[in-house]
Amino acid sequence: MEVVHNKDTQTQSPTTKPSKSLSPWAMARRKFMRNKLAMISLVYLIILSILSFLAPFITTADVTLVNIGQMSLAPSAEHWFGTDTSGRDVFTRLLYGGRVSLFVGLSCTTIILFIGTLVGSIAGYFGGTVDNLLMRFTDFMLNFPFLVFVIVLNAILFGIVSGLWVLIGVLSILGWGGVARLVRSKILAEKENEYILAAISIGCKPSKVIMKHLLPNVLTTVIVQATILFAGMIVAESGLSYLGFGVPQEVPSWGNMLSASQQPNVLQNMPWVWVPPALILIMTILSINFIGEGIKEALNPKSFR
Amino acid sequence: MSKSEQSKAKAPLLEVKGLETSFSIEGKDYNAVDGVSFTVDRGKVVGIVGESGCGKSVMSLSVMQLLPKGIGKIRNGEVLFDGEEIQSFNEKQMNQIRGKDMAMIFQEPMTSLNPVFTIGYQIEEVLHNHFKLSKKEARNKSVQLLSAVGIPRAAKIVDEYPHQLSGGMRQRVMIAMAIACQPKLLIADEPTTALDVTVQAQILELLKDIQTKNDMGIVLITHDLGVVAESCDEVIVMYAGKIVEKTDVESLFTKPKHPYTKLMMGSIPRLEEDTEKLETIKGIVPSLTKMPQVGCRFANRCPKAMPECTEITPQLEENEQGHEVACLLYETSHPKEGVLG
Repeated sequence: MEVVHNKDTQTQSPTTKPSKSLSPWAMARRKFMRNKLAMISLVYLIILSILSFLAPFITTADVTLVNIGQMSLAPSAEHWFGTDTSGRDVFTRLLYGGRVSLFVGLSCTTIILFIGTLVGSIAGYFGGTVDNLLMRFTDFMLNFPFLVFVIVLNAILFGIVSGLWVLIGVLSILGWGGVARLVRSKILAEKENEYILAAISIGCKPSKVIMKHLLPNVLTTVIVQATILFAGMIVAESGLSYLGFGVPQEVPSWGNMLSASQQPNVLQNMPWVWVPPALILIMTILSINFIGEGIKEALNPKSFR
Repeated sequence: MSKSEQSKAKAPLLEVKGLETSFSIEGKDYNAVDGVSFTVDRGKVVGIVGESGCGKSVMSLSVMQLLPKGIGKIRNGEVLFDGEEIQSFNEKQMNQIRGKDMAMIFQEPMTSLNPVFTIGYQIEEVLHNHFKLSKKEARNKSVQLLSAVGIPRAAKIVDEYPHQLSGGMRQRVMIAMAIACQPKLLIADEPTTALDVTVQAQILELLKDIQTKNDMGIVLITHDLGVVAESCDEVIVMYAGKIVEKTDVESLFTKPKHPYTKLMMGSIPRLEEDTEKLETIKGIVPSLTKMPQVGCRFANRCPKAMPECTEITPQLEENEQGHEVACLLYETSHPKEGVLG
C-alpha cells in the first residue's frame, strides 16, 4: 500500500519531486477507490448511464413503434428481451426507460440540492427572523400531501407542459424541505467554528463566508444526502409511473414498463416484460446506495481503508 | 485641514469609552463588559489580563464588531478607531476596515483555519478582500508573509493544508493573515495560550518585531502575567467585566495595588522559591446572571474585604501618577459624594 509522507518532505532529497499535498478531497477519493463494493457500483452506474444515453446508437428499433404483428413475443435473437403486449421491443424500451428514469432522478436531485442548500444556508447563517420565516415555509412545503399534490398538479398542467417536466417540477418542489433542514442544521453547527469568525474578521462579506467557507465544509453531508435523494427520486418516479401518475404512458420509463405487470396475464405468463425493468431498478438503487455509503465512509476522517 | 482630519491626527489609534456589551439570557440583558474605557496608542502594546470569564474576549469582539448576532450587543459607550466612531458603521463599512486596518488573532490556532483550503489560499483571501492584486502577486505576497513570520520552506507550506501543520505553525499562519494588510491595530486574543512555552516565546518575539516595524498598536489579551511582563507597555487588569487596575507594566509588577492583581501575582510559580502548593484565588468569577450590581465584584473572594465593599461601588481613579485602581482600600476610589448603595 502506498503511503504518502507529507510531513517528512524535509528529509527528501532535492532531486525527488516533492509529493503534492493532498487536499481533504483527494484523501477521500483515495479511500473511496479502495472501497470495492462502491467502485463496482460506480462502474455499473456509469455503464448503465452510457448505455441509456447512447440508446439511439445502440438499438435501431423505434421505441414507440407499435407492431401488432409482433405482440407478446418471448425473448429471441431478434428481440433479446422479447416484446410487450403492444409489440414494442423490451430491450429498447429498457434502454430508453433508463434514460428517462436517470434523467428524472438526476434533475430532481440537482434542483432539490440547489433550492435546499440555498434556503438552508441562508436560514442557518443569518438566523433570527430570516431563519424563522424560511424554516416555517419549509415546514409548510413538507406538509403537502405528496400524492394528492402530484395528481392535482398533473391534472392542472396536463397539456400545457410536457408530462415529464411536470413530474420533475412536482418532485423537486416537494422534495427540497429535507435538504434545507439538513443544511441549516449543519451550517448552524459549522458557523460556530472559529475559522468562520476569522473569515469575518478579515473582511469577508456574508455571501463569501457562506459560499467559500461554510458550504465546502457542509458539502460532505450534502453529497451523501444527494445519493440518497437520487435513489429516492428514481423510486418515486417509478412508483408514480407504475400508478399512472408519473411520466406519460407513451414515454418509456422503468416505472411505466413495470405497470404492464398490472395485467394478470402479463404477470403470470410474460415475465420477460416486467422482470428486466424490475431487476435493473433494484440494481440501480442498490448501487447508488452503495456509492453513497462509500462516499460517506471516504469522507469520514475516522475511518481508514 | 478640516476639523475631522485634525481630530484624526491627534486622536489615539483606539479609544474605548464606557463600553458596555450585554448578552441577552432568557430575555434579559446582562453586561459582560461593564463600562470599560481605555486607549491604545500607535506603536504601543496594551495587555489585558484577567481570569477566564472576565470579559476580555467579549471586549475584543465588541471592538471588531464580531459579537454573535442577536445575542450580544454593544449597549452603551463609544469605540473610536483612528478618530472615527465605528460602532455606527454598517456591515459593509466594517468589512472594509476589518482585516485591513484592524485585524485579529484568535485563541485557537487548531480551529481558526478553514480545513478545506490551503494555507496560501487563506492568506491570499485577505489580500484579495482589500486590494486589487493579480493571482500571482497575491501568491508571492503570501509566500513573503509566511517567511516573514518565520515559517521555513514557505514556498512549499503555502500549498499545504492546515491539518499538515503543527499548532505553532498554524498560529504563525494566523499571524501572517492578520498582518497581511499591515493593519494599524492588531487584537491578539490569547495568541499563545494553546502553544507550548518555547513556541510562545518565539511568537511573542515575532509580534514585537512586526509591531516595531509597522508602528502598529497591539491589544494583547492574555491570562498569563509572564506574557504581559515580556511584551506589554501598558496593562489593564479586568475582573468580571470591569477594569480594576490600569497602569504601565513596570509599576504593575513592582507595586500592584488591587488585591486581585496581588493575588494573581502570588499564584505564579516561582523558580527561586520551593513551595509545595501554589497560591490560588478561592472561588470563581460570578456568572453573568449573578453579578452583584452594587459594591466591588471581587468582594466575596477578596481577603481584604471590608463591610462597605458590598455597599459602595469603587471607582477607577488615578491613585498615583499613571496608576489607576478601583478598590476601596484606596481613598481615591471612594465615590466623590460618598453615596451609599
